Amino acid sequence: MFCEKAIELIRELHRMGDGQLPAFNEDCIRQVLEEMKALYEQNQSDVNEAKSEGRSELIPTIKFRHCCLLRNQRCIAAYLYDRLLRIRALRWEYGSVLPATIRFHMCAEELEWFNQYKKSLATYMRSLGGEEGLDITQDMKPPKSLYIEVRCLKDHGEFEIDDGTVILLKKNSQHFLPRWKCEQLIRLGVLEHVMS
Amino acid sequence: MDPSEVEFLAEKEIVKIIPNFSLDKIYLIGGDLGPFNPGLPVDVPVWLALNLKQRQKCRIVPPEWMDVEKLEEIREQERREDAFTPIPNPHYMELTKLLLNHASDNIPKADEIRTLVKDIWDTRIAKLRLSADSFISQQEAHAKLDNLTLMEINTTRTFLLDSLNYMYKLRSNMQPGTGPGKTQDY
Amino acid sequence: MDTQSYMPVPPGVGTEENFFSLDDILLSQERLPCRTEMAFPRLGFLEKSNDSQDIPEGTKMEMPLWLAKGLYERKRRVLAVELPKMYREGWRTVFSADPTVVDLHKMGPYYYGLGSQLLHFDSPENTEIAQTVLQTFIGRFRRTMDSSQNAYNEDTSALVERLDCLERALFRAGQSGLNGFQSWEKGRTSHLTASNLVINYRKRKIAEVQS
Repeated sequence: MFCEKAIELIRELHRMGDGQLPAFNEDCIRQVLEEMKALYEQNQSDVNEAKSEGRSELIPTIKFRHCCLLRNQRCIAAYLYDRLLRIRALRWEYGSVLPATIRFHMCAEELEWFNQYKKSLATYMRSLGGEEGLDITQDMKPPKSLYIEVRCLKDHGEFEIDDGTVILLKKNSQHFLPRWKCEQLIRLGVLEHVMS
Repeated sequence: MDPSEVEFLAEKEIVKIIPNFSLDKIYLIGGDLGPFNPGLPVDVPVWLALNLKQRQKCRIVPPEWMDVEKLEEIREQERREDAFTPIPNPHYMELTKLLLNHASDNIPKADEIRTLVKDIWDTRIAKLRLSADSFISQQEAHAKLDNLTLMEINTTRTFLLDSLNYMYKLRSNMQPGTGPGKTQDY
Repeated sequence: MDTQSYMPVPPGVGTEENFFSLDDILLSQERLPCRTEMAFPRLGFLEKSNDSQDIPEGTKMEMPLWLAKGLYERKRRVLAVELPKMYREGWRTVFSADPTVVDLHKMGPYYYGLGSQLLHFDSPENTEIAQTVLQTFIGRFRRTMDSSQNAYNEDTSALVERLDCLERALFRAGQSGLNGFQSWEKGRTSHLTASNLVINYRKRKIAEVQS
């Protein structure tokens, strides 16, 4: 049956329901596009034949192929769109710099899209809250205190805080830091929030 | 909504404190606070009360309803009646948790209060579920949810809305001819 | 409660599909028993059981829902769609006797979705199908609700095993409300944690390295 490759793309994403981004399946997409090209060409020639020779019995077949074309189109569009939703989520979970392993899973256009999204989000955040802007990816939950106790889960090197002091984030060291400076690192699993 | 956001809203409720320091009135966007005089009760939002309490700058006066007798009465009424009974504070659950966790030394019979509030909560949640079930099984079109608090609604919001939405869609199946006729999906 | 930044396109539920929904695309991949009422010339290679060039009129073949929907016409007889067995009278009786005993995952897993979609094909039994699908949902609702609101901190795989996809989504919605409240009550909501996505990525990376 036609459209078997297209549904493979959808299954691949559906299996990763938590929002992880599988590698961009260029090969599968190419095969779907090839199938679409073949379907389109066969339909073109059958349409011509039906018209010029009055062979109206070809119409059901033409319609059959046309359905398959539309199905392939829907699957590819949904595949690309769902990936964009995942890529957008990455900006909120990882911040503006993505780890190389994830970037390898994106195609050139997706990387470009991510950069554009990053930029428009940054522009928007700069326009908020007066001169300094407002980072809306911080404080996703109402903060209870300005400072929190954190423990380092891995070596992360030097880290500068508001007043200019530089501290060394060394594995298993414990620090009392401004919450907004740590939130991102906690999300990335570099720091661990220690509750008293 | 995340429960921590509901709790954040609850922190705007007003509570009486007895400060042990003096400070002139302070003017904030959210309203004026103070003046504070040692030993003189003053109304402040819960977030400030908790902050002062943590720094041992005040004693919190428990809200009137946070009282064993009053809560027992509410519990009995809640168990007796089918409908949700009016609750003395729209954030009773959050305030109980906040005040008991941070100022239990200012609240008489704190443990009993904790249990009573939990009982009231459980009774109300059981009622909420029962009414959700009868709502679905009778295929009702609308329901009155008087006297429910934000935290109560919040625990079941997505579940209830999704269920109603699904039921609505499956019911629309029953009206033939209202569908889109020729469909565009492939 | 773990906030998720990735929100997939929800399924349409009912007679209309959501174009971008992965769930709906998989639902419309479900196969239906069909009989052609016209010939499809030059497509014979799709039907392995005959070796003619065409799919002749009267051929019995299984077609995915999306194709059947695309080819089906009310005015012209192109295709006859048969009801899958769980929507036929025999099973409908079973469902109306006690909807809670049926394993909708095995029977479906898109029991409600497919049942609604079947209404596109003017079957004389449409009214009964719509009725049974609705009553089944209502009849099983209490169970779905109770199990999703009572199971805290336990393995839920046995609870969702026999649920249809729609019911599973409901179950998850109920669970996330419950878990959110419970962790608030235990004072865990103010605890900042690593993103689930990040943790899952790391797990996958480790698994890849090991294999």
